Amino acid sequence: MSDLDPITLQVMLGALRAACDEMGAVLVRSAHSANIKERRDASTALFDAEGEMVIQAEHIPVHLGAMPSAVAAVLGEEHRPGDAWVLNDPYRGGTHLPDITVISPLFWESELVGFAASRAHHADVGAKEPGSMPADSRTLDDEGVVIPPTRLTMDVLHDLARRMRNPSQREADLRAQLAAGRTGAERVEALIERFGLETVRAGMRETLDYAERRTRARIAELEDGGREARDVLEAAGDLDLELRLRATVAGEEIALDFTGSAAQHEGNLNCPLPVTLSACYFALRVLTDPDVPPCAGAYRPLTVTAPEGSILNARPPAAVAAGNVETSSRVADLVLAAFGRALGQGTMNNVTLGNDDFTYYETIGGGQGACPDADGPSAVHVAMSNTLNTPVEALELEFPLRAVEYAVRRGSGGAGRHRGGDGVVRELEARADMRYSLLTERRRHPPPGADGGRPGAPGRNLLDGRMELPAKASGTLRAGERLRIETPGGGGHGKD
Amino acid sequence: MILGVDVGGTFTDAALLTGDRLVTGKSPTTPGDQSEGVMDAVTEALESAGAAAGDVRRFVHGMTVGTNALLEGRVARTALLATEGFTDLEELGRQARPELYRLCAGHPPPLVPAELRVAVPERSGPDGVLRELDEEALRRALADIDVEAMAVCLLWGFLHPGHERRVAELADEELPGVHVSTSHETAGVFREYERCATTVVDAALSPLLRGYLERLTERARDAGLPEPEVMLSSGGTAAAASAARHGSWTVLSGPAGGAVGAARMSAATGAGDAVGLDMGGTSCDVSVAFGGLAAVGAGRQVGGRALALPMVDVHTVGAGGGSIAWRDAGGALRVGPQSAGAEPGPASYGRGGELPTVTDANLLLGYLDAESPLAGGVELDRGAAERAVGDLGDELGLALDQTASGIARVASAEMAQAVRVVTVERGIDPRDMALVAFGGAGPLHAAQIADELGMRRVVVPNASGVLSALGLVVSERRRDLVESVLLAGDRLTRENVAAVVRRLGERGREELGEADAELRAGYDLRYAGQAFELTIPGELEPDPGELRRAFDRAHDDRYGYADPEAALELVTVRVAVALPGEDLRPAEAAAAEKRGTRRVRFGDEMRDATVLGAGEAAVDGPAIFELPGSTLVVPPGWRAQASADAVSVELT
Repeated sequence: MSDLDPITLQVMLGALRAACDEMGAVLVRSAHSANIKERRDASTALFDAEGEMVIQAEHIPVHLGAMPSAVAAVLGEEHRPGDAWVLNDPYRGGTHLPDITVISPLFWESELVGFAASRAHHADVGAKEPGSMPADSRTLDDEGVVIPPTRLTMDVLHDLARRMRNPSQREADLRAQLAAGRTGAERVEALIERFGLETVRAGMRETLDYAERRTRARIAELEDGGREARDVLEAAGDLDLELRLRATVAGEEIALDFTGSAAQHEGNLNCPLPVTLSACYFALRVLTDPDVPPCAGAYRPLTVTAPEGSILNARPPAAVAAGNVETSSRVADLVLAAFGRALGQGTMNNVTLGNDDFTYYETIGGGQGACPDADGPSAVHVAMSNTLNTPVEALELEFPLRAVEYAVRRGSGGAGRHRGGDGVVRELEARADMRYSLLTERRRHPPPGADGGRPGAPGRNLLDGRMELPAKASGTLRAGERLRIETPGGGGHGKD
Repeated sequence: MILGVDVGGTFTDAALLTGDRLVTGKSPTTPGDQSEGVMDAVTEALESAGAAAGDVRRFVHGMTVGTNALLEGRVARTALLATEGFTDLEELGRQARPELYRLCAGHPPPLVPAELRVAVPERSGPDGVLRELDEEALRRALADIDVEAMAVCLLWGFLHPGHERRVAELADEELPGVHVSTSHETAGVFREYERCATTVVDAALSPLLRGYLERLTERARDAGLPEPEVMLSSGGTAAAASAARHGSWTVLSGPAGGAVGAARMSAATGAGDAVGLDMGGTSCDVSVAFGGLAAVGAGRQVGGRALALPMVDVHTVGAGGGSIAWRDAGGALRVGPQSAGAEPGPASYGRGGELPTVTDANLLLGYLDAESPLAGGVELDRGAAERAVGDLGDELGLALDQTASGIARVASAEMAQAVRVVTVERGIDPRDMALVAFGGAGPLHAAQIADELGMRRVVVPNASGVLSALGLVVSERRRDLVESVLLAGDRLTRENVAAVVRRLGERGREELGEADAELRAGYDLRYAGQAFELTIPGELEPDPGELRRAFDRAHDDRYGYADPEAALELVTVRVAVALPGEDLRPAEAAAAEKRGTRRVRFGDEMRDATVLGAGEAAVDGPAIFELPGSTLVVPPGWRAQASADAVSVELT
């Protein structure tokens, strides 16, 4: 069955996981920007020499499928000890521009034994608007600096940082990623010294097989056959973009086919394929075994089909800023819905406020969908993200903003045998003139329930308590005006 | 004579220090009312020492009353009085879900249900009051609520506490006799969720704590003992009457005793900085000590609830002697988190347990001896252990011995991972630190865990079975005061900071009733705009330039860079008011008793290990020390140097 006994397997798995966690700790500790340090919008991973992901330390699920494509993008290059690669091009190993990946090849006695990779959400990558999360981008170039797979020399590092806002912070964050790569290399070398190269290689292979076995065991418990799901994205101008899924379980394998989904559009809800994969991997973990080591083996029993040129496998130069944060949630929703789950708020409620003196970006939690055996939690991030809020006191100390209300949106969860979670109300008052930009979803179409459960309430964006804003909106907030976000509730499960 | 009594899950331990002599007592824990078991253990210790209650100068208590009530949700019916528009703070939390892929795994339900949240018509901002308190409206809102406790948390209350004080007065007038906790007094820190959650826990636990501590104080008085002191989560102690007013202070009272004991023991044996590892039947607590003091963090979660209080930095994992070994769906050997607990316990306890546990493996490996009963008189049945471990071996395709050593190795790897969390992941290198192992099961695994982490020194106190109680005996009386001040720019002056320290220090000395107690100050600093702070120890009248340089250095150590250009902000001032605890004096001892040899398995090898009792000895591994309440395994390649107080084991 395997090259390793069950004890060495468990010890090796622990050691690989520890190495990966330590890379993550080094990255978070030595980065400068709040995005990485405090919101932990970063992940690290170790790969074998063939480019298969052996273990990942992810803090937010949207990075699950994205790391393997980044390593695949540089796999064919010539690697030398001490090299590192950098990229963010969504069409060549990236996802959206703020997520920059650094990849370090790992060597043992001049032989390539694997790769250490880290991905971090950088606070700015040089778009026209600060924060690089524009609501109205039309092509990739509107969203910032595009980095194709490039050898990361110090010259390249300085040059990249210079093309972005706050270059010293960008440079520090990239150096933190390099430090994480060095930590990965040191830890893998220490493992090889302790166990020997062949045992470590066997450990990597066996980790992949082990994760595959555990995933297959749980897929086998699902009923064979096909299921379908449809849902929509809320593009600007009251335009709905339809997504379709046909999911098929056959024995120990699952196929997810998104054929028939909308073609890529002129806004920024487009996804490069790795984003679609991340969302599918997330849903698979939810539906099968949440504790399987996150690695390529866990996803071997899964096939994903998304037609090229569709919104779920977009081609250049389509804009992608909202694909990563919003469309990814809907892809996960489709898979969960196909398997009879009630859905959560299905949006991260991205809010950006700013003027010449400050930029403030936050995402707001909402209702989780009910499970077949439990109520959905209220006021949480539900799918591809899981970042912390900004405390009201921190917000009022640092920005010209005052919170008017921050509360649970009572009754917004869908009724059912198990209730969907309630959304959140967050209302802010501007104390200076500023611009606002909203990237939200589930404003026109509520999160559906399942098995007779009621849908959650759709979200609402209100300007000064009266004027309802669309799902995607930007404009000016004058001093004294208020922006109120009511986030969606989750769907209920089962008839009351 | 100082008496320490620690309540554990199964046993209540008493430690009595008379000069350089340590006398112990042990009795079953009485979950209904912990004070019964406490007095039983005290009686036993006093009898063994031939001492009278009147000889006891300090009586220090470590307990789990608060922790258990919090984890089980047995708390007072509590109201939350919060700024209008912000009454859901406790329920909202920080909006992150606790588990990424178990979507309905929620946070624990809020301690205050929605119908007991009272909107207080008022508002302050960073610069002061924005909306005056509407007292009449508040009185009306309080008129018809029926509660046992109230928590008051207003936005910016830590900086402008006037409204909180007035709300507490009004609450007392409307509902006389009901306990009130205010956020500025309980936690006093910036960031509303953590302050609010702490205040709610404080209010919800206080009535229960007061009842318990009053009973204990009465029993102590009846027995002729002094008024009890209680171990706080911070590692200092407070008079029972003070602890009774603040239910949130003692949530980690139990683990704090162990962390203090490990810290003091590492210093007393000259081991320096140390990792404390307390492994019992169901769980393992890991702590870190620098210079003889247990590392204290500014806040953490307990049972999924935030507590913004100074607390010993203890990390707990579900790995203990009772942890069950199993084969998972992918074919790997796993240990825990399921535990056989004390009932039915490991298969070898012969009480009906049939699943293989870490204790069963240790018995089969020869580390434990079927001939000598465990603490509490439990006798081990080797046949039962063979059957349970053998069945698992059949599932895994491994021989009995291989399975047993695999279980021990995987359990040690789990605990090594827990050590990594409090060291490596916080930028601390454990390799030059000593591993102080205690609890019933810690010394069995200590060398294997050290090996896993590249640590070269293990220290096992002879009192390892009662180290938590010993930690109580040597702990300092202390009051920790914390206040967020948000001082930056030209307001961050020596005078302004010293005034805060003076005020907090006077308050602490008054509360301790000791006008010349020692003062220590710490300053939580950050570069402006950061969402976290580092605590820097400093002078009582600190020079801002000095603080700046110390902070830049600490930031560089911890995070790999300093930013001398960035604006500096003093977020929080911490003052500890302390009366030092007793020193641990080395005891005199006879040579260790030699008890023969035992066949013991190390990896794939069977070896004859020398078996010794406590006492002075120098021996190369393989060896086994049978200490009171625990067994120490010295593997081949390690050398043990045993004194009257502890065994030091070093890699050769």
